[in-house]
Amino acid sequence: MTDTVSVIGAGSWGTTLAKILGDNGRRVLLWSRDARQCKAINESHVNERYLPGFPLPKRIEATTDLGQACEAGPLILLVVPSHGLRKVAFQMGDFLGGDQMIVHATKGIEIETGKRMSQVIREETCVRKVGVLSGPNLARELAARKPAGTLVASPFDEVFLAAQQALHNAYFRVYAGHDVVGAEVGGAFKNIIAVAAGVADGLELGDNTKALLLTRGLNEMARLGDTMGARVMTFGGMAGIGDLMCTCASTLSRNHQVGERLAAGQRRATIEKEMHMVAEGVKTTKAIHRYSAYKGLDLPIAEAVYQLLYSRRSVKRVIEELMARPAEHEFAELGG
Amino acid sequence: MKPEDKERIQVEVVSRVVEDHIKRARTAPTGYLEHLVNDTLYHERLRLEKENPDQPRIKADRAVYRPMRARLRHASPSDLQSMLQTLSRHLVDEVTGHFDPRVYRVATRVVPPGLSLLLNAMSPTRLASLRDLRTTVADHVELGGEIEQVKELSRRGTLIVVPTHSSNLDSILLGYAWHLIGMPPLCYGAGLNLFHNKMLSFFMQNLGAYKVDRKKKAPLYKDILKQYATCSIEMGYHNLFFPGGTRSRSGAVESKLKKGLLGTSVAAYVNNLRSRNPKPDIFIIPTTLSYKLVLEAETLIDDHLKEVGKSRYIIEDDEFSKPRRILDFFRDLIALDGKIGVTFSPALDVFGNRVDGEGNSLDPRGRPVDPRRYVMRDGEPVHDPGRDAQYTRELEPELVDAFHRDSVLMSTNVVGHALFRMLLAHNPGMDLYRLLRTGGASPSFPMADLHRETGRVLEALKTCRTPPRFGDELQGGDVQGIVADALKHFAIYHEQPAAERRGDRVFHEDRRLLLYYGNRLRGYDLGRVLAA
Repeated sequence: MTDTVSVIGAGSWGTTLAKILGDNGRRVLLWSRDARQCKAINESHVNERYLPGFPLPKRIEATTDLGQACEAGPLILLVVPSHGLRKVAFQMGDFLGGDQMIVHATKGIEIETGKRMSQVIREETCVRKVGVLSGPNLARELAARKPAGTLVASPFDEVFLAAQQALHNAYFRVYAGHDVVGAEVGGAFKNIIAVAAGVADGLELGDNTKALLLTRGLNEMARLGDTMGARVMTFGGMAGIGDLMCTCASTLSRNHQVGERLAAGQRRATIEKEMHMVAEGVKTTKAIHRYSAYKGLDLPIAEAVYQLLYSRRSVKRVIEELMARPAEHEFAELGG
Repeated sequence: MKPEDKERIQVEVVSRVVEDHIKRARTAPTGYLEHLVNDTLYHERLRLEKENPDQPRIKADRAVYRPMRARLRHASPSDLQSMLQTLSRHLVDEVTGHFDPRVYRVATRVVPPGLSLLLNAMSPTRLASLRDLRTTVADHVELGGEIEQVKELSRRGTLIVVPTHSSNLDSILLGYAWHLIGMPPLCYGAGLNLFHNKMLSFFMQNLGAYKVDRKKKAPLYKDILKQYATCSIEMGYHNLFFPGGTRSRSGAVESKLKKGLLGTSVAAYVNNLRSRNPKPDIFIIPTTLSYKLVLEAETLIDDHLKEVGKSRYIIEDDEFSKPRRILDFFRDLIALDGKIGVTFSPALDVFGNRVDGEGNSLDPRGRPVDPRRYVMRDGEPVHDPGRDAQYTRELEPELVDAFHRDSVLMSTNVVGHALFRMLLAHNPGMDLYRLLRTGGASPSFPMADLHRETGRVLEALKTCRTPPRFGDELQGGDVQGIVADALKHFAIYHEQPAAERRGDRVFHEDRRLLLYYGNRLRGYDLGRVLAA
């Protein structure tokens, strides 16, 4: 199969995915609403703004024509920030048909509704064959063709098979699964823990603290996923522990950087202003805070990150409160 | 079903099922067909061991199966194919076997007035004329929702009506409501146990029911039933499936559905496209049936509470098997001018998209969608069991939403719920079963408290995420009137009233019934709204 694959969203991750597709010999339409950016990519074959230093295969054509991108082939990768996904999906809806497949690679939850990205796509388009790509994937490492793996989950076998065919190669292993909810929850929630890990690193709290954050963070992720209908096993895979380890360990992660800046005493408004790329964890924290309040879920680390981002509480105080909580059975509420 | 279609459908079902298994046998491990025939005979033997051997039906089964068992050990591949053919023919024959073309011809004329007679509970004072009877019954069945769309879509394609399921009367009432809006009989599978009541059996068969023997566990039998439904849809017969699978035991609106039979809709749609059927479209009509009193409430809630729903999946000794109870039910309901709500929700295509009045599929934002593209591969419509099963799974939330949105809540539901909430609040921490048995600390509450709680529940319903429809008596919001109406209904028909007013207090008499009627409000997330 050599159909054109469209990538909607020319940020660093969208461009990296386009590059992988191009490396695999696929013709790629890379959509961006920014005409100047498209022109520059088509002329220089580099995305200077979001993926500088990585030449792109010439098979990648950047376009501002959403209709052309949507109608180019059966498989579409949707890689836009969570807060803008609904609007883009709605616009795509004008051009889509029921035989097409959308795999999104956006790790976030919609703040206003608490909905996962696949739910938003279903609400805005006629497409049923929806999947999610999620895993330990730092864009720049993949752009440098360093070995990595990911998960594509969809209830439709056809979707993950098509994504595997298009993306899997010698440096990128694409695993398949059916648990969309688990993959989405894992991908979104790890961003919150990454902010927490950034705080720990910023305060130089050491590896014990980070390990504590990671394992208890994984526990919160599993409990949240369980409530939403995910399979707990998914959190032991690429989109769960895999992504969590990667994001929390790497200083390349934007969420991690947010945490470090919080530890240095900066406020959210300043951080957001200074970082021109979106740190999904900031918005996801708010969405999860609302959801857990609605559902009566106790997610202490997520709540602590929310306090740091959205209230004026000090880092020291928030950490003290976290550590003062009673320690229960390790797997309480997970049937342990 | 039209007489001329009976043989056609039998031949088609048998040939599809047999061909499908022969095709599978080609790629399956050796012994596939032998295993299939053996498995069918085994399941049937288990069933027959529990049946009365003197029944003609059972004798006929044995006459078919016995010689096969003897032949099976030395059967050649062609023998096995012929045995599969014989088994399939035998099974499909029973599904359609009781159809009488002569009865069918008069059915559409005879059944509706006959049903009127039934639904009027044989009240001698109302036997003045058939015309009067029809009017009277129509007065008690309150039709609502997208009736015009249903009529229009029936001209443009084939309809599959998927209702909520509370009572064995549902199919009869729906059949009657269907007749009232001028539609031909619906084709539907009804459990064999429902035909035990001869009077009702007559009406059911002539309203389009075919027999489904739930005791038959052989997978081949399930294939036959699914293919029968598929073929009848392709032939343009409007079908009725109860997607809940069985009557709601708890009284709640269904939130989990069984997708097996519903899945035939996608298969039939693909077949329609492949055969270039001039009217290939199939429309799903979610339908809610709402009762102020439910015929089998006591048995259903008991079954729910025993948590043995599975082992008593087929209840043969409930109120439906007692004609006297059915007559009492209708007499009492009509005496109090009780209404039964039948609401047709907006139609969906088989992929869960809304459709407009002309049958065009629309995406969630109202833009036109070509439904054929969901099943196309390389420009051709194709079957893909995995894909199609997922399409059907994705129909579930759409149907559950429609059921909750269009259920008509009655005074008995709201007051039952309010009173049960009061019971829980007055007996914190008490085990549910103990509470149901003993009634807790106090046998009664002040009427004023019930009025207040009913008002709170009503207000909460209005603000919940998917507000339901309200029955007439709830519309004005007159809490005292609503409570009085519910207590009036609780006092009749059931062996013991669910609750009773004495002076300025209300006594909870049958708490199981309060739980059952109040459970209709489950699924609206009321707990959160009321706690806020």
